[in-house]
Amino acid sequence: MKFIQKFFDSKRKHFVEGGRFEKFYPLFEAFETFFFIPGNVTKNDAHVRDSLDLKRLMSLVIVALIPPLFFGIYNTGYQSNLGSGLPVTLVAVFIKGLQIVLPIIMVSYGVGFAWEVLFASIRKHNISEGFLVTGLLFPLTLPPTIPLWQVALGISFGVIFGKEIFGGTGRNFLNPALTGRAFLFFAYPMKMTGDTVWTVVSGVNSQGVDIFSGATPLAVSAVQGTSAFIESLLSKAGFTLPKLFYGLYPGSIGGTSTFMCLLGALLLAFTGIASYRIMIGGILGALVAASPGYIVSLVSGNSTVPMLSLPPFYHLVMGGFAFGIIYMATDPVSAPGMNISKWIYGFAIGALTVLIRIFNPAFPEGIMLAILFMNLFSPLLDHFEIHFRLKKRVPNV
Amino acid sequence: MIEIRTRKGYNINIAGMPSHDLEILEKPARVALLPERIPFVKPRLKVKVDDPVKVGSIVFEDKRNSQLVFLSPGGGRIAKIKYGPRRVIKEIVIELDQDEGYEAFPVISEARLEGMERKKLVKTIMTGGLWPLFRELPFRDVPNPDVVPPSVIVSLNSREPFQPVPEAYLNDRIDLFEFGIKILQKLSETLIISTSSDDSFVQDRLNGFVTHTCNGFYPADDPGVLLYHIKKSPDENRSWYINGQDVLLLAMLFKTGKYPVDRTLVLGGSLARERKHLQTRIGVPLNHITKGRADDTGAARYIVGGIFKGYTGSKDSYLGFYETSLVLIPQGDEKEFFGFARPGFDKPSRSRTFLSFLNKSSMAMDCNCHGEVRACINCGFCSEVCPVDILPQFTYKSILADEVEEALNHGLLDCVECCLCTYVCPSKIELKNILKETKKAYFLEQMQS
Repeated sequence: MKFIQKFFDSKRKHFVEGGRFEKFYPLFEAFETFFFIPGNVTKNDAHVRDSLDLKRLMSLVIVALIPPLFFGIYNTGYQSNLGSGLPVTLVAVFIKGLQIVLPIIMVSYGVGFAWEVLFASIRKHNISEGFLVTGLLFPLTLPPTIPLWQVALGISFGVIFGKEIFGGTGRNFLNPALTGRAFLFFAYPMKMTGDTVWTVVSGVNSQGVDIFSGATPLAVSAVQGTSAFIESLLSKAGFTLPKLFYGLYPGSIGGTSTFMCLLGALLLAFTGIASYRIMIGGILGALVAASPGYIVSLVSGNSTVPMLSLPPFYHLVMGGFAFGIIYMATDPVSAPGMNISKWIYGFAIGALTVLIRIFNPAFPEGIMLAILFMNLFSPLLDHFEIHFRLKKRVPNV
Repeated sequence: MIEIRTRKGYNINIAGMPSHDLEILEKPARVALLPERIPFVKPRLKVKVDDPVKVGSIVFEDKRNSQLVFLSPGGGRIAKIKYGPRRVIKEIVIELDQDEGYEAFPVISEARLEGMERKKLVKTIMTGGLWPLFRELPFRDVPNPDVVPPSVIVSLNSREPFQPVPEAYLNDRIDLFEFGIKILQKLSETLIISTSSDDSFVQDRLNGFVTHTCNGFYPADDPGVLLYHIKKSPDENRSWYINGQDVLLLAMLFKTGKYPVDRTLVLGGSLARERKHLQTRIGVPLNHITKGRADDTGAARYIVGGIFKGYTGSKDSYLGFYETSLVLIPQGDEKEFFGFARPGFDKPSRSRTFLSFLNKSSMAMDCNCHGEVRACINCGFCSEVCPVDILPQFTYKSILADEVEEALNHGLLDCVECCLCTYVCPSKIELKNILKETKKAYFLEQMQS
């Protein structure tokens, strides 16, 4: 500990005013405060302060991301080895997963961090810890086959146009990670959707490839044009409810396992970092939006829109719904700040996700667009709730 | 008795709380007046260095209202007048004589008080130097004596962890307090006397007087919070308030005809060895309070007036006119290795982000900020604790955008300056200071127009 402190103390002179790397003080500050909580004391009242700071808050989000991250690594390796006909032992699968996922995460962090340092140096403010979360959320929403240059492009777009041009952390109105993903989604649809992008197939054993279909459950549901019940189609394709819940199927790196996301949700909601109102609101919204169609299709026996016959709770465990509503929708900066608004916001995200899934065959997954869409509405929701709340106040001017 | 519930607020569980024991301190060698600690007053000095003064002699007056006088809390000689930047008068130090002389003020019995008209009563309090004990909400300035306030709030308790309890300062002076209440009744039609809902001492002994009990976390029994919860119309906003202890001073002035200087205060904090209530006098030197009761290692911060709202003193400074507590806690200017990644069993936090949420015992706290200033991420922790339902995270942004009108609509003037928003902010933004400075600027603007 002492020698790390000495190291920082000896290098400080280069970064403070007049030093050689004066411009890069934010970089120095970021690294130093990573190792040490600074000794700065309160200048005035309140004389004591809560122990919680943004670094702790953001690192707890990272902790909450560990279950989906590790499962994502495992699942990516598993699907890859399965598809390539390689052995699916735990170690082999995990190593394979690391080989695929680690470069993506490293590129995301590396490129994004470089942009953060650049903007912080020019704007002369400190590097915000919010990026630690963005830099990890972004790769977890990507398909494992994504080319690394697209990862770099996506995170650059997310950080610059999703956040920095509006003034940096705290001033962005869109979720930066999703902004980056949406950019890739529309710029390179071939690499972001379809049946082949969700599994990395290594060409060592070409026999395996033939028997393998990489379709995601959402693709199965969306593509089938028959009037049969989707539920049975899904089970035929191997997607039973428990399997969907635990998440061992092809999909985006971190988004497949509802179970792992729920573990993170428990931590986030318990510590109060993410709003349980948004999460529960989202679940309610999805269920409410999916129910009428399901009831109609139950009564009529068949339906022109086959997705309607899917039991509502399937929507909660399919695709990236859980990951999105737990980690993305709850980003406090782009979500509303008022409590009732949070309920509405979460509810609308859940409902929109389901509606996009059911009625728009071009987008098998709706959560990304639903969250970005509702991000735009959160200032408005806040505005109205504050307006109504202030009406009840006895004026004091 | 009406019970007022405040749902929001927060109690910190800090180590070093004082006991209810009361010790009477011996006479100090010198006392001081601190004009800069009296809000919105422009002092005009009436004494020079080496002038002899008695207890109750005029030391300075307000330039805006020469009737508003501030009297000497001790008899002796003016030893020093200390100026700060831009000739701000920081301290007027009085060296005390062995036998202090007293200025004579009229003795007013209960019978005489009955027949006294309001104007004359106000004048008696003004010349007696005790008018500044009254404060006017929402700016907490010294009120205009010509105005009849919508109500006067007497606040007996404070849930601030280091404020004296009524049991200590009121114990054998209930009669005096009742006399003081009679004085207050002449000032306003509505007199509100509030105490904490769990203070059984006050509720037993002052049963007939207490009108409201305050239930909730800090700062539930602040007069501003109480007013926020009971007011029905904007006319009540400019109510006055006075501390329970200061009612005794009023009564003493009337009963004895001498300028009263009694103060009961609390010495607390983890660096104080003896933590209890002390009875001493206004303007006492801080080292007189700590002598033999705290070790001076230089590591302590002297906080005068409470952990949340107080100001930073030093061992060479003095107790102000309003302050009733001295807290000694560590500065905490050491760096902490990997501080953000520790489990934090002993790191106090309102959130459940540290294991300290399992730890119910009181925890030592220091003055470290526990983090660097960052941008607001709209977490809303501040509005979860704000006792008067301001939304500091939105209000402060409207202030930064120069939308003062909007901030006022948000209830800026209801702010009781409790500092909880600043305390909980994970981005370490000085929220309360931003709100308070805006209030102050607004007040000065109004005063000029």
